[in-house]
Amino acid sequence: MLLSIDNLQVRYGKQVALHIDRPFVIEEGERIGIIGSNGAGKTTLVKSILGLTDYKGSIHTELKREQMAVHMQQNEYVNTMPVKVIMETILDTSIKNNKALQELISYFEFEKCLYKRFSHLSGGQKQRLTIIMVMLQNAPLTFYDEVTSGLDFETRQRLMEKLVNWYKDKENSLCIVSHYYEELEMMADKILLLEQGHIVDFGSKEELFRKYCGRSIFIIDNTEKNRALVSGIEKLEAPEHLLALPSGDVESEHRIAGLLVDADVNFKRSSSDIEIMSTNAKKIFKGQRGGAEYEN
Amino acid sequence: MKTKKCNARLIVYELVNLAGNPFIAFFGCIFPILMLLIMSNAITGDVPESMVPKVNTAIFITMSLIVSMAVVLLGHSANYSQEMEKEIPVRLNLFGIPQRSIMLAKGIAQAVVLTLGLFFYTAIAYLTLDMEVPAVSTALCLLLCHYILAAIFFGIAHGLSGILKKFGPTYAITMVFYFGAMILCGMMGVQTNELPKALQYVAGLLPMSYIGSDFIDFWQGGSYNFGPMIQSYLFLGAVCGILLLAAGYKNRRVAK
Repeated sequence: MLLSIDNLQVRYGKQVALHIDRPFVIEEGERIGIIGSNGAGKTTLVKSILGLTDYKGSIHTELKREQMAVHMQQNEYVNTMPVKVIMETILDTSIKNNKALQELISYFEFEKCLYKRFSHLSGGQKQRLTIIMVMLQNAPLTFYDEVTSGLDFETRQRLMEKLVNWYKDKENSLCIVSHYYEELEMMADKILLLEQGHIVDFGSKEELFRKYCGRSIFIIDNTEKNRALVSGIEKLEAPEHLLALPSGDVESEHRIAGLLVDADVNFKRSSSDIEIMSTNAKKIFKGQRGGAEYEN
Repeated sequence: MKTKKCNARLIVYELVNLAGNPFIAFFGCIFPILMLLIMSNAITGDVPESMVPKVNTAIFITMSLIVSMAVVLLGHSANYSQEMEKEIPVRLNLFGIPQRSIMLAKGIAQAVVLTLGLFFYTAIAYLTLDMEVPAVSTALCLLLCHYILAAIFFGIAHGLSGILKKFGPTYAITMVFYFGAMILCGMMGVQTNELPKALQYVAGLLPMSYIGSDFIDFWQGGSYNFGPMIQSYLFLGAVCGILLLAAGYKNRRVAK
């Protein structure tokens, strides 16, 4: 076990920002995706683990704080400072003599940025700067808090591909906070779902999908024609523009697929869709807690 | 990742950081020299020729105070409050650079820039004006007073930035203090003893007023009662200590 949390509570004034009332454990080598709406407590959880905010309860870990690396949502440095100076000072090394750092700089195609001032970097370049420094720490536990927020689609895709490839054969534990489900599908093995400061559920992607969605789902556009076509079929909770049709076994899966193919409807089949899974998990969680009014 | 101690790399980083703030170069090096030359030109025209070196020296001592106030008080409060606003110190902490290493590196960098500023100011003053040569003990004493004052200013700027965490209010407070001290301590051409009684009392709380008005009396030797000046240092030091403690408490990390 790398880290465990039990009964953790963080308050901002009178408001409870985070209340983890069930055990949450991070094992060695796990890749955990943390999702939830704005104000769900994702960043507060990371800050609590890093000791950046007051909390009640217990966080057990054998790791020293220096053994945890973090890419925060905001990673600012002195605007007028050359990037090379920032990097060499923070990492306490010289790029010239550090092969691992040279490899990372080259991997992220960052060579041309080294001689710029920090203020002259683009959003994506700023993210890459911190990612390079975080990766070089090679910490047993690394947090990435919304690492691609504010980046355009193409830059986000490229950055995620780099991150996924880099960690593919490595054993570091990762906690990835993100609003982008496809990023978590690429990087996470387990999902921690938070809602208004509470844990909705925690488990492997497959386990949670089976629990809330069944064997597989078909996702189609929410149009009048499609609604009429699937009117007799059970539906899961889904974003407003989509319809999600669960199938519990192979037979029902073939039946739904046949229906959609015959009607010439475009569809996506998935057995791991995090967005539909989390939407349904939150719906059940709200029901159990009595609507949207949570205990604060 | 290991916890990083203050080292040469961190000090160079802070020196580059200071070099990136052009106001430090202007207000800390150029402005005091301009003030010295303008005041000397304005005042020495009305005094007997035999008194010119003494008057120039008195102006030199008073204006030298601008160097430490501008470099350390204004410079550090401007830089560090911006860093606090952008949470740069927290970011460095998370990379294993503790607050004490950052503070030490900043302090050393400030001392280097202050030394350069004082050297530059003194060199220009002695090359361009007719000045009295000080007794070694007085020169050393003035230097010591500058460095202690700079250390206190550093603490005040650090504490204020740590408490307010915003560039605007921090800079506003330090600018008010800076110009207030310039007026109260004779740097704007009005002697402390010419001020109204209430303002003289306030000026008495600031070490700069003693340095500006009294050091000329024993510049070439003699005795001086340091008691009131030491009391003013203790007062300003206490203000600095309180601000640092409050900032330290406000920015403490929960887990070690």
